Amino acid sequence: MAGRTRDRRLMRSAGNAVYAAFGATLVAVLMLLIALERHDFSIMVVYQHTTRQLPLQYQLTAMWASQEGSLLLWLTVLTGASSLVVYQNRHRNRELMPWVTAVLGGIMIFFSVMAAFVSSPFASYPGTPPSNGAGLDPALQNPYMVVHPPILYMGYVTLSVPFAFAMAALIAGRTDARWLASVRRWTLFAWMCLGVGMLIGAHWAYVEIGWGGYWAWDPVENAALLPWLASTAFLHSVMVQEKKGMLKVWNAVLVSTAFALSLFGTFLTRSGVVNSVHSFTQSNVGPFLLGFLAVAVAFAVTLIIWRLPLLRSEHRMESVISREATFLFNNLLLLALAFAILWGVVFPILSQAVEGIRSTVSVPYYNFFLVAFGLPLLALTGIGPLIAWRRASPGSLWRTFRWPMISALAGGGVLALLGAGTNPAALAAFTLCIFVAITIGLEFARGTSARRAIAGGSWPRALFDLVGRNRRRYGGYVVHLAVVLLVVGIAASGGYTSVVEQTLHRGDSLSIDGNKVTYAGLIQTKQQNSTTVSARLVVTKNGQQQGVLEPGRRVYTDVQAGQQVTNEVDIHTNYLDGTDIYGILEGISPNGSSVAVKVLVNPLVSLIWLAGVVFVIGAAITLWPDPREARQLARRYATALAREA
Amino acid sequence: MIAAIVVALVVAGAVLLVAWPFVSPARELPEEALSATDRRRLELFEQRDAAYAGLRDLEQDHRTGKVGDDDYEQERKRLRAEAAAALRELDRLQ
Repeated sequence: MAGRTRDRRLMRSAGNAVYAAFGATLVAVLMLLIALERHDFSIMVVYQHTTRQLPLQYQLTAMWASQEGSLLLWLTVLTGASSLVVYQNRHRNRELMPWVTAVLGGIMIFFSVMAAFVSSPFASYPGTPPSNGAGLDPALQNPYMVVHPPILYMGYVTLSVPFAFAMAALIAGRTDARWLASVRRWTLFAWMCLGVGMLIGAHWAYVEIGWGGYWAWDPVENAALLPWLASTAFLHSVMVQEKKGMLKVWNAVLVSTAFALSLFGTFLTRSGVVNSVHSFTQSNVGPFLLGFLAVAVAFAVTLIIWRLPLLRSEHRMESVISREATFLFNNLLLLALAFAILWGVVFPILSQAVEGIRSTVSVPYYNFFLVAFGLPLLALTGIGPLIAWRRASPGSLWRTFRWPMISALAGGGVLALLGAGTNPAALAAFTLCIFVAITIGLEFARGTSARRAIAGGSWPRALFDLVGRNRRRYGGYVVHLAVVLLVVGIAASGGYTSVVEQTLHRGDSLSIDGNKVTYAGLIQTKQQNSTTVSARLVVTKNGQQQGVLEPGRRVYTDVQAGQQVTNEVDIHTNYLDGTDIYGILEGISPNGSSVAVKVLVNPLVSLIWLAGVVFVIGAAITLWPDPREARQLARRYATALAREA
Repeated sequence: MIAAIVVALVVAGAVLLVAWPFVSPARELPEEALSATDRRRLELFEQRDAAYAGLRDLEQDHRTGKVGDDDYEQERKRLRAEAAAALRELDRLQ
């Protein structure tokens, strides 16, 4: 109504309703946290997911261990983000904001109804409350669980904001670049949260699940990767629309796809339709989420088709050798990878529905597409920044690419001579990583040199100015550097891991990659709600002690369903050669005289975690507010629309 | 009992907040819709700024060796012409 009548009272009332929804949701969260802390087992969620012996931090994080609490968390983040959007835009985007508020309000209503009537976190325990709870899944009793779900949820949920702005721009017929300026930072934030959330989840899997890896192409892991890939595509294609007025339909489609995939991810995580290591809870919310996803997709498709005449490109692509073309190829590859993964995720559901048999696709399927689409994407990460907008001449291409190409080929040749050729895909990835790393280095070096030529000053000062004046570009390059570190870590650990499984008596040793691992006895330790028995394994190399591994088996004593046992892996990282020696205790003989152990040597996994840190730095540089840009935008709209402040 | 009081306070606060713009003594005029001229001006400002940004990028690409001298001159002329055309039409609309 506010959008149609342009009544300011209605607009302000709608904005206040968003604030009120946030306040009410916060009160609900506070009440649930108090119930969790006070062991109020008359509330079903508290009974099902805690015990009196559970450490305090896990009592509180049990909120998102439950299906019902997760919905409340979704709603909290959504109402919080929506309130921030309303506040940020209280004096601007007045033509769009009524529609933005309406779209966000629609999403809020759906999740409020779910949390209030379908899957309520305040449902009562039937009958007299028991004296103790059923207990939290041991796999969720890990410090990473304190931060992993909320960060991932922030990523999923804040993708609602770009979707709301895109839909508002289509409804209002304001398909110029203004909505893009409003959503770019929100998309970056969501994308950063999804990326960090996935990496924290990968680290959690590595140190807690205990199979020796960090990514298993589990459906729920994939569910977070899908919107991240779509957002990555959008963050690149948005530049083409801003600079060239092209890809307007594509951008609207990408924003809608990212939001739809975030809903799909929530559906996968919470419906229990797929077998996943994340299937901690199953519930009846699946059909509702699927229905809402269908409505959201139909809504977006209808609006995009309706506004097609307004979404025509202002320019045509002049050459396939141009930066806009590399962005387009990058988008196509990202989407192709996303849909290959999506097909792998939905295939078991479809095969069950069509043939009555649940057929799953396995890791080689995903790895094939990761290599097929990932390596060209990696190459484009190096090529894109070095190509000029509009078109590039063969001469300038040769001048720009010769040294990175020659260096990468030489580096790849040296690695092949050192034995990396046993895994051709990994060798190709290393070669491309060298290429991309050199292009990034050259971009910084040439940019800093050009900045010095203009403004003078020292090299560090020129570098600081360069990054400060072009935060999106150079923050983006830092993110590309994180991608290089990530790919090197994945290729090395995926392609060159060694594994030995052996039963050892006290004093026995096994050998792996030049390391000697000797079993020195058992240790028992008690925690608040568990007891751990660990094997002490001494790692030596060339007679020198490298470290001690103490992988164990933890028995949880407070879980009413019976004692639950988890693997507690131990990892020794050698920062000099970048290898992880990873120990898993697979079994203990009844009299404790021998243990079955599995030891892996994983090369360069640490680079994956380092990539996470570099990724956050790059994303933060890109996200950091640029006062000059903000002033320019404000001036532009204030001058163009004298009535808008 | 405490829960009922909390719920009542939350509901009352929400109702007051939502109703406030209608009961507040401050009167606000309806937002004026954008005219066709406003929209065109906005488009032209965007075109002008896109051309300026393009010139800045071109300058950087030229200085870092990604664009040769001939391409640089040609592209610079085109972007300047785009900015000038937008500015001319903006002058007419003022």
